[in-house]
Amino acid sequence: MSTRIRRLASSALVAALAAMTVLLAPASPAAAHNTLRAATPAPEARLSAPPAHIILEFAQRLDPAFTTIVLSDASKRKVRTSEPTVTGATGTVTVDEPLAAGSYTVAYRIVSADGHPVQGSYSFTVDEPAAGAAPAASGVAAPDAPASGVATSGGAAPDAPASPAASSSRSEGRGPWPLAVGGLVVLAAAAGVFLSRRRRRGTTA
Amino acid sequence: MPRTSVAARRRPAFLLAAATALLAAGAVACGQSGGSSAPEPSASASGDADAGVLGIRDPWVKAADEGMTAAFGTLVNDGDADVTITAAATDVSPMELHEMTMKDGTMVMQPKQGGILVRAHSSTVLQPGGDHLMLMDLTRPVKAGDELTVTLTFADGRTQAFRAVAKPFAGAQESYAPGHADAPGASATPGTSASPAA
Amino acid sequence: MSDSPTARPVSRRGVLTGGALAAGGALAGATAVAVADPPRVRPASTVPVAEVGTAVEPFHGPRQAGVATEPQAHAAFVAFTLRPGTDRAALGRMLRLLSDDAARLTQGRPALADTEPELGLLPARLTVTFGFGPGFYTAAGLDARRPPSVVDLPAFGIDRLQRRWSGGDLLLQICADDPLTVAHTQRVLVKDSRPFATVAWVQQGFRRAAGAEPGRTQRNLFGQIDGTANPRPGAALDAAVWVPDGPVWLRDGTTLVVRRISMNLETWDLLGRTDRELAVGRRLDTGAPLTGEDEHDEPDFAATGPDGLAVMPDFSHVTRSHVSDDRLKILRRPYNYDGAPTPDGHADSGLIFASYQADITRQFLPIQQRLAERDLLNEWTTPIGSAVFAIPPGCAEGGWIGQQLLD
Repeated sequence: MSTRIRRLASSALVAALAAMTVLLAPASPAAAHNTLRAATPAPEARLSAPPAHIILEFAQRLDPAFTTIVLSDASKRKVRTSEPTVTGATGTVTVDEPLAAGSYTVAYRIVSADGHPVQGSYSFTVDEPAAGAAPAASGVAAPDAPASGVATSGGAAPDAPASPAASSSRSEGRGPWPLAVGGLVVLAAAAGVFLSRRRRRGTTA
Repeated sequence: MPRTSVAARRRPAFLLAAATALLAAGAVACGQSGGSSAPEPSASASGDADAGVLGIRDPWVKAADEGMTAAFGTLVNDGDADVTITAAATDVSPMELHEMTMKDGTMVMQPKQGGILVRAHSSTVLQPGGDHLMLMDLTRPVKAGDELTVTLTFADGRTQAFRAVAKPFAGAQESYAPGHADAPGASATPGTSASPAA
Repeated sequence: MSDSPTARPVSRRGVLTGGALAAGGALAGATAVAVADPPRVRPASTVPVAEVGTAVEPFHGPRQAGVATEPQAHAAFVAFTLRPGTDRAALGRMLRLLSDDAARLTQGRPALADTEPELGLLPARLTVTFGFGPGFYTAAGLDARRPPSVVDLPAFGIDRLQRRWSGGDLLLQICADDPLTVAHTQRVLVKDSRPFATVAWVQQGFRRAAGAEPGRTQRNLFGQIDGTANPRPGAALDAAVWVPDGPVWLRDGTTLVVRRISMNLETWDLLGRTDRELAVGRRLDTGAPLTGEDEHDEPDFAATGPDGLAVMPDFSHVTRSHVSDDRLKILRRPYNYDGAPTPDGHADSGLIFASYQADITRQFLPIQQRLAERDLLNEWTTPIGSAVFAIPPGCAEGGWIGQQLLD
């Protein structure tokens, strides 16, 4: 019985990962609209130290005149950041004040090559400095990151180090790959937790 | 009295002083203080409506570089007696009184025998295609926007001057009645001024 | 001032009446009547038709008409190039003729020597506004009297100016609520200008028909409500538009910028409604700024959304063109143009942008520079023509436009 459940869990995990991949990918390779491909700090990331930069990488080149990146804290107060520096498809702002522990929202507004405005936002959290147990995982899944290699590690513990680029402050500028792998590992870890809970539930039923 | 030739101008001195008035309301409405290059009129503007024999409304003359042209307007007789214009004069050209009339199936232009009659308490319109004041041979161009002074002579010897602004006008093509051998060119319609400096 | 266009009561009433009679079809005679005898209905109208045609805007006065005048439904902007040899005296002759034509036609009287006098009888709020380009002053030998800000605009990166829509020594802005009135007036004025000037270009435009949407700011062919942030009539408008003092040929005058703005309706079609509103900074339906409820709400540039982004995008047209100081505002009085589509069905449409301001350099240029640097709306618009004119003061009865300058 547990074997059957494990097989079901594996296929469910693969399906879930496939779904997540689809959600995070641009609509099609020939999409006219610019989309966010990678971000540092990552969406939903938990950081042990406050970030010094916000780095957003998009699918298309950015127009500096039409690039806005803002950072707000949990009480919707705007955090002081620099004007965005644009290099190719990447926009970066420096965070000009130290961030206390808490939740933050990154919001961006850009314009695609065809002139259409695009905006979005996501959150990350800065943990209390003494906590230490929070994973330094960072990164967001890139659509073409290989999923198969990670799919079988459904049982990984949630607090294992996620990727070589362990902390957000050190992952800047390394490109999406370490982040992508790290993201998938996070997903896999989450799936593993979910499945182990289910297994437990199954036996008590 | 029917006349067969251009009436000789008669300008009794006392009438000249008393009867001249600038009643051309339309032409001078926007030009009284203007620096017009038209020759200075010998008549002075009196502004007194009673001084003129007739009211002259909307007078104008076709702008032309040379040859013939014509002056038009509405002549208003507010008096109790009929008035007949027997002659017209201006210093840039000899003038005649002309009418348009049907001859052999076409409209032709010819001197108006008996002058131009304006009945009591009525008005007569001088317009292209109808009665008009003909300038027979311009000694200098009448440029668009110029003001020309025209003096009318009436059957009773009185005269009246008015100012007419020159308008560009292509107008209807009129042809002369046969017999006017000295008419320069077949068309009575002068060309419009080609250039303002001409 | 209702928001929704009224459905035509004619057809609705007719349908209802017909339907009711048909339903009560037991009365055979009544049904037959309903079919044979359509119900008489009076069409709804907001303004009695006769008033539209006979309404008059004064011509004479210290300031020219057609600037602060409530914009009429139809316009023709006619620009002229002076013929060589048109000197100060000739300009005087020309302006006396044109002023007389305008004085008559605006009051519902045919022009002097009008070959179609019947077309001059319905003024329909006709105004004729005279503008003098830089070349006008040169021809008159009066460069020293030209308002200093009336010079060709500097080139902007967004410009794709065509000679055929640019420049001009003399401008006549002819506006009326009736298009036939505009056409006839244009014909009279062009004929009287021929000895002195050639026609450089004519830009014909339109707004909503008179009385169709009383009190409503007009819409352009993007569907946007266009002109909300104009200075209010009265003290605010006066401060922004009219030159308050100075020599007699400047006082009570103003300046005019006319720019032909081509709209790319094909690429505009690809833009979703929300994105269109972000590009402009206003709701499309009501014209309200994105931070407000009502068209005339002041936009709140500091307002942010739940994600921290400013609600008014910093690249929006409203943000980039915003002017707080009334004295630095410009009075926009634009008209739509709509040329024939190409065989492929591509539109040739846009805006005849016309703005009045006391000083082009102080008021118009800063706004245009901000927009040229950044304004998302530039993606879909291109200036293809540009011209500047001084608007001289008005004339009294017996006077003529330009008299204070040329006499």
